Order: sequence, then structure tokens, then C-alpha cells
Amino acid sequence: MATIAELMRVLQFGDSLLPIGAFSFSNGLETAVQLGVVRDVGTLRAFVRSAVDQAATSDGLAVLAAHRAAAAGDADGVDRADRAVFDRKLNEEMRTMTVRMGRKLAEMAGRVLGRSAAADWLGRIKAGATPGCLPVGQALVFADLGLSERDAFAVHQYGVATMMVNASLRLMKVHYLDAQAILFEVNELAGAAYDRAAGLGLGDMAAFAPEFDVLASLHVRAHVRMFMN
Amino acid sequence: MSPASTPHELLPYLDEPPQLPVGSFGKDAHLRLRFEPRGERSILAVMERRAPLLVQKALYCDEGMPGLPVVFIITNSGGVLQGDRYTMDFAVAAGACGHVTTQAATKIHEMDANHAVQTQEITLEDGAYLEYLPEPVIPFARSRFLTRTRVRIAPTATLLYAETLMGGRKYYRDGELFRFDLFSSTVAGERPDGSSLFVEKFVIEPDRSPVPRPGVMGDFDVFGNVLLLTPPAVADAVAERAASAWNREEGWAAGVGRLPNGAGLVYKIIARETSVVRAKIRDFWSIVRPEVVGLPVPPEYPWR
Repeated sequence: MATIAELMRVLQFGDSLLPIGAFSFSNGLETAVQLGVVRDVGTLRAFVRSAVDQAATSDGLAVLAAHRAAAAGDADGVDRADRAVFDRKLNEEMRTMTVRMGRKLAEMAGRVLGRSAAADWLGRIKAGATPGCLPVGQALVFADLGLSERDAFAVHQYGVATMMVNASLRLMKVHYLDAQAILFEVNELAGAAYDRAAGLGLGDMAAFAPEFDVLASLHVRAHVRMFMN
Repeated sequence: MSPASTPHELLPYLDEPPQLPVGSFGKDAHLRLRFEPRGERSILAVMERRAPLLVQKALYCDEGMPGLPVVFIITNSGGVLQGDRYTMDFAVAAGACGHVTTQAATKIHEMDANHAVQTQEITLEDGAYLEYLPEPVIPFARSRFLTRTRVRIAPTATLLYAETLMGGRKYYRDGELFRFDLFSSTVAGERPDGSSLFVEKFVIEPDRSPVPRPGVMGDFDVFGNVLLLTPPAVADAVAERAASAWNREEGWAAGVGRLPNGAGLVYKIIARETSVVRAKIRDFWSIVRPEVVGLPVPPEYPWR
């Protein structure tokens, strides 16, 4: 059972309002709404669910690998996970999102936690030695705080879902209570996703989401947009 | 493939087939091709082959690029079967060019034991140019297929690599779409010194994760995945002109993305029908070739 301090750390660093810039991104939802791929509560639910499923089998594995490397004091292992995330982001806006938020999280950790694996990682990001992707930053902060890889995985999955659900309120006609219901529903999937991910490694990172990929690339070329992806 | 390196998605499918043993004679196809420059044109300088994959000879049948050796991969097995282990190794020497395609769609037959694996190594030296544009892949119901490709490419070389994946035999009986057990595909790009450029791995297990849903394939049945590994100037020029749109009336969507580490472009097409994906790949190819070698892609042969 987590102590109150541990629980509150999870709440703080898992908060969708954590100032690392999540509000600037929609994870592809903006274009999906514009093109009618997402048009109501049902399609929003399915779209968010697809996104968290993909996150669990791709970036989610890097969260676990980075957390384990950090717990073992293996900085090279951390950077390998970081590189694995970056090299698998085949769209420029998705890369921008992950390195921008990753760096902001590292900067915050440096200030809030002081000397930490996350702060060391920030030094390597600034030196251009590693890209600085968000899932790795989340893993490092949680390892620094003595929180488990399960907690880090959960917060990563939660972050993907909340980013999109929060963006949906600004992008389409959806009741805020329906949005919360969607969030609650997709969060129920994270436990099984963790059980599956726990036995896998960086080489297993995989996703299959051609619609997401096409939507992301169309967003890059869009002239009118509210979000950075 | 040693057990230690067996990807986790294959673990449910390791039972020995009752037919020919896994990877035995006739199931261990191997193809090694190497293109080299000779005067005004390039030649197929090395050709090693082991059935069921065969190559006869390079043809100079591309009217837009007369010096381009065109190689058709043919098979005498009628498709990919359980227990098949194929390896392919394509190399293009400095300054050479080549075109590799397949004679017909690759049919991956239904399986009730084991799986099939295809391993590809593609190497491009300085200034080399390779077009690898195989016909579509059709995974039948209950098939299990894993393909992995490693590309080693010099910064001045260009590879155009297009794969077309159909959901299955769309019009067979009541429609056989995404009814296979497993389709796993990995393409990893790296420089000659081994530094990583990008990795794309997708694993499709329709029983575990439904394919026809928003964000995945939605209403689309065919997926075209095109990689253009090329210097940045070519990538910039091609990205400007590639058809990127969501066209509901014609039933397709396509978009171009920039690969990490300045590796080039990825162009993805999803459509309801294969012919549309094919046309989009051909349009993309018709932009690429003039940018890279200054020569056109001719109109499609009437019999292809």
C-alpha cells in the first residue's frame, strides 16, 4: 500500500495540469475532428482507446525499460530507451511533442527534486547526447521518487488519454461529463496493458495505427490549427 | 532463428508442421542480388538463388531509364506456407542502380501450425539508387507472418521501398478481411557505421486488437507504406509534391512524414481498394525518380 506521500507524488506528477505543455497538443485529435473521423462521443471513445492501446505497446515499453535502467543506475540503458522512442516517431510533430514535453519535465524535476537521475538526464539532453523523450522522463522522475514502474506506466497511459480528452472539450461538441466517462473507461484498460507490457523489451515496441499516422502528417500541413499536433 | 531471438508475438506459433519440417529444402528460399555499374548502365553482378524464390535475369525494359536493370522475383511455390523461412539480400554498389519487384502478389496461405518468416538485408553504397516495389501482400485467414528488414544506407544513396498490405482476400466468400492470426513487420534503417536512423515495427493481431476502428484502419482495407531514404534536398522536393489528403469520395487518405535523423520520408496511404494504393505509390514514385536521377517513370505496362 502506498504511503500518503507516495500517493501525493503520483497525483502531482500524473496531473494532467502538470506544466509540461500537454495543453498544446491534441495527439492527432484536431485533424481527426476536422475531417470527421471523430464526430461524436462514440467515435471519440474509440479514437482515444486506439491511442492508449498503441501507447501501451510502444512508448509504454520504453517507460518500463527506462525505469528499470534508472533503478539499476544504468544511464546508457536510459539513453537507449530514449533513442528507441525517438527513432520510432516517424512524424515530425510527434517527435516535437515528445521531446518538448520530455525536456520540460526534466527541467521541472531538476528544480523540484534537485540531484536526481532526471536532472542528470537533462544534462545529457542539453549536451545533445540524448533526445529527451517524455516517456523516459516520466520513468526517471518516478524512479527518483521511489515509485514503481507500474505507477510510471499508469501515469504515462493516463497522460495520453487526458491530453486527448481535454483537447476534445476544445475541439468538438462533447459534454464534459461524457469526456470524464470516456477517461474512466479507457483507464480501466491500463491494468491488463501493464501485465502484457511487463514481460516485453525495447525490441518489442510496436504500433499499428495508419489512420493516426496519416492524420498526423496532414496536421503538419494544416494552415489553421489550435494545437501543435 | 534461435529461440532466444524469437519475437514474443511468434511464441504461440512454434509448433512443428506435420508437412515438411520448418525451414527444410524447398522452404528455405534465399536470394542474393548485387547491382554494380558497368559503363552506361548498371548490371546484376551477383545472383544467388534457392527455390522457391527465383530470379532469371535482369531485364532492361524500363523505357524511362534504359540503363536500369529490372529484376522480377518469381516463386515456384505459389505462396508463403507454414514453416517457410525466406532470406533476401539486396546490395547496390556505389553509383549503381537497380529495380526489384515481384511477379505477382505474395499470397500468405492459411496456417494451422508454426508460422512463416522473411528476413531482408538491403545495402546501398555511396550514390546508389534502388527501387524496391513489390506487388501487394495478401495474408489469408489464420496466417502468421513475420517480416524484418534491415537497411544499411550511405547518406548519398536513395532507396524507394514500398509495401502494400491487403487486409486479406476481400471478395473471397463473405469477405476475408483482417482474419489472419499475425502480421508482424519491422524495418530498421541505419548508416554504414551502424548508427540508427529509424525503426518502424508494426504488429497486427486482429483477435487481440481490432483493426477496423478509428485511428487504426477505420473504414479502409488496404495499407501502403512507402519509405524514401534519401538526402534532405530530395526529401524536401518530394515532400512538397506528394499527394496528401483525406479523400472520402474516392476512398483514400495519404500523408507524408519526415523520418527522424534526416533519413528521408515516409509516405502512408490507406484506401478501400488496392488499385488506389497502387496508383498513389506510382504517383509518388513518379515524383521520386526525376528528383534522384533526372529520368521519368514511364506509363504503366498494360499487362501489369
